Amino acid sequence: MSAFNAIDDEREIDREEFTPALEPQPTWCPGCGDFGVLKALKQAMPEVGRTPEETLLVTGIGCSGKLNSYFESYGFHTIHGRSLPIARAAKLANPGLEVVAAGGDGDGYGIGGNHFMHTARENHDMTYIVFNNEIFGLTKGQTSPTSPMGHKSKTQPHGSAKQPLRPLSMALNSGASYIARTAAVNPNQAKQILQEAMEHDGFAHVDFLTQCPTWNKDAKQYVPYIDINESDDYDFDNTNREEAAEMMFETENKLHEGEVLTGRYYVDSDRPSYQQEKQNIGEMPDEPLAERYFDEDYEWERSYDMFLDKHA
Amino acid sequence: MPADFNWAIGGEAGDGIDSTGKIFAQALSRAGRHVFTSKDFASRIRGGYTAYKVRTSVDQVQSVVDRLDVLIALTQRTIDENLDELHEGSVIIYDGERTQMQDVEIPDGMVGLSVPLKRLAEDAGGAIMANVVALGAACEVGSFPIENLDSALEKRFKSKGQQLVENNMEAARAGQDYVKEEYDHDFDDYDLETTDEDYVLLNGDEAIGMGAIAAGCRYYAGYPITPATDVMQYLTGRIENWGGHVVQAEDELSAINLALGAARAGARSMTATSGPGIDLMTETFGLVATSETPLVIADVMRSGPSTGMPTKQEQGDLNMALYGGHGEIPRFVLAPTTVSECFWKTVEAFNLAEKYQTPVFLLADLAMAVTEQTFSPEAFDMDAVEIDRGFVVDENDIGEHQTEKGQFKPHELTEDGVSPRAFPGTDGGAHMSTGLEHDEMGRRTEDTDMRIEQVDKRNRKVETATEREDWSPREFGDPDSDTLVLSWGSNEGALVEAVRFLEEDGIDVRFLSVPYIFPRPDLSEEINDADDVIVVECNQTGQFADVLEHDALRRVKRVNKYNGVRFKADELADDIKETLAAEAEA
Ligand SMILES: Cc1ncc(C[n+]2csc(CCOP(=O)(O)OP(=O)(O)O)c2C)c(N)n1
Ligand code: SF4
Ligand SMILES: [Mg+2]
Repeated sequence: MSAFNAIDDEREIDREEFTPALEPQPTWCPGCGDFGVLKALKQAMPEVGRTPEETLLVTGIGCSGKLNSYFESYGFHTIHGRSLPIARAAKLANPGLEVVAAGGDGDGYGIGGNHFMHTARENHDMTYIVFNNEIFGLTKGQTSPTSPMGHKSKTQPHGSAKQPLRPLSMALNSGASYIARTAAVNPNQAKQILQEAMEHDGFAHVDFLTQCPTWNKDAKQYVPYIDINESDDYDFDNTNREEAAEMMFETENKLHEGEVLTGRYYVDSDRPSYQQEKQNIGEMPDEPLAERYFDEDYEWERSYDMFLDKHA
Repeated sequence: MPADFNWAIGGEAGDGIDSTGKIFAQALSRAGRHVFTSKDFASRIRGGYTAYKVRTSVDQVQSVVDRLDVLIALTQRTIDENLDELHEGSVIIYDGERTQMQDVEIPDGMVGLSVPLKRLAEDAGGAIMANVVALGAACEVGSFPIENLDSALEKRFKSKGQQLVENNMEAARAGQDYVKEEYDHDFDDYDLETTDEDYVLLNGDEAIGMGAIAAGCRYYAGYPITPATDVMQYLTGRIENWGGHVVQAEDELSAINLALGAARAGARSMTATSGPGIDLMTETFGLVATSETPLVIADVMRSGPSTGMPTKQEQGDLNMALYGGHGEIPRFVLAPTTVSECFWKTVEAFNLAEKYQTPVFLLADLAMAVTEQTFSPEAFDMDAVEIDRGFVVDENDIGEHQTEKGQFKPHELTEDGVSPRAFPGTDGGAHMSTGLEHDEMGRRTEDTDMRIEQVDKRNRKVETATEREDWSPREFGDPDSDTLVLSWGSNEGALVEAVRFLEEDGIDVRFLSVPYIFPRPDLSEEINDADDVIVVECNQTGQFADVLEHDALRRVKRVNKYNGVRFKADELADDIKETLAAEAEA
């Protein structure tokens, strides 16, 4: 039983609870893929069974980072690239919370890339949604780490000479235990994947293809898409690391050839989370770090000996 | 007999200098003597040289002096490096059987004790104990009961088995006996008196860690860096006992954001680093302040800029702590002045952070961080530690801080500037928080009036704290003197002793040691009333002198040191005399 009264509150949850009274209408451009993420997330929440009051949504900076303005919950709109350390520490401090981090491809794979690698490696029990529009949206259309080679923008007028980053492969190599790709144009799959990601115990990475009709006009709308877990053309075991790696490699290549592959690429349900690992070796107390120790009658045990033995 | 005894062991890096020095310091502490240690990496010649120095007395010692009474020299260079500090009658212990020490020259008037450290150690069970043989020899010189050394050895080697403890004890006795038998010399000057007092021995980093635990810190994130690493190492393996956790982050960008995340979730949390790390963390200061999240950020300063001199003293980050980060960031800056104050200022930092929901900087410095110093356990009276978590609301009182539509107001405009906090997981408290300018509910806004209201509200917290809290300086010397000396950080100990030396020479000074850099005490009256004002600090430009001149609208004199070595008491007394004399001439 948590000292935070909203946690584990067993009650019916309506997805409309996640629409904030203050800003019900998002200000994203018409046709923006970001709407798809918001909708899928609102739909997935009641399925996961978490209320707005026990959910913490941590975002980076970008069009994508505006997500928590339009989603009712505890929210923290942070700084460019730093949502992951903030989110994973909040989860560690209070594991009773449902913690979701979200941000753009520039935010997560570029400026925050190091945190992405390490949060995946440490397998923190949280969900990370990357709005991958292959562009810097908010700053008006510059090349991003996932922009395809040859993609022209104001900052790369002769076309990008850089190989795009491979988000799925990077997540796998870094150690994420749930890796999926979905697309805004695929609402049912998106909702299911977000639900699974949140229910997964460990670091769940969802590369969410979100079209940006305003600044990335030459990029396709990510249609038609193929669900690799359902299509007969693809047969692979997503609990097998090598097969997953191959499938990811192919998916990342195909995206730039115009074929949109989506689905669950890797699922490792056995790997303990950071929290579990630390608990196993006795470095993490059972009681949440953020338990309400400000209570008047909290036992402030500060036994002298426990401090000073080392120094005597 | 001099009131204090100055001892050192020196050699090459890798000779076990640090651990041997610590064992001796521990033995002295256990014998009821006060100890103040320092590490000497001072390099006048190229190559590896390191020394561990111990100043000890039955009275509290708070600084180092330029005098060495007994030196264990593992290399010729150790002697050369310390020629200025050695004096007539100093004792030098060395191993004359080692090839590199066969031609050792003991300066005139000093006593050389050649002790076959290696051979005696081998006899006792292993050459690795050569330093312990030397400690035994030093005990004989100081007529120091060797049982005290035994208990320090036991503490040190217990985990490796009783046999090793006994071998070490035997090695120490071999050194002691050798001096007793081979040297018929009267070392009366150096008798190390023992007392029944119980002391604890710790350094500034450890005191910060201890203060953090006592203050209820439950989450620490850091990335290793000299000289702040000991904070993390102290907490690791200990904070768990109080329900906390230590995280080693991938970098300092992460470390501060981790600490911020844990704080938002409701845990008292902190990070500690040194200059290069604080540069990376600067990015997040503004978010901490605008999201009004309590956070303690310790900067254990070392020589900068850039990688600078990683193991050397400097107080060069004051401006960074005061002004670091873009925009105008309300904050508090505390600078502990002694090892025990590292404990108390850490406790205070946590309370200030939560009472005013701001970032609080704890500016410590290398000299203090690596100094092992003895204290009576009462110096860390846990019962005197009070915890104030500030304005936290729960599901019962949250209704008082909601809009008519039931929206919680985490940035409510209040008279004192402090708004209610609701932790995620609290019914009725769901809200957004952001580094964007926002309204009372935390929703982004560019409304011109609300912008002003929120900026003013955040700064009002600093005004409130300035009125409500005690920001007094620590006062020493003669309160009526016309000479005012001001300083901050770890210089306090050396200055307190310098003031005493000056007093003996008939020069009275008033010394104010300032632990609060922002808000700081208003010292304009004291500064303007004095004839001479001298500001002492370990940097080149006089960063603290600058802010004091600004406060008092008066020029001050400056004593600055930035060669990487901390101030010494006797040297400071001379510096102050010279500054006063120069003034008289002018
Ligand atoms: C440290 C820092 N550098 C630069 C910026 C400016 N900036 C804001 S968002 C952004 C990139 C946005 O791209 P992405 O992360 O892909 O998000 P999107 O807008 O496409 O959703 C940049 C460069 C910033 N806010 N902070
Ligand atoms: S600029 Fe692109 S990413 Fe941003 S809101 Fe508009 S369509 Fe969406
Ligand atoms: Mg983008």
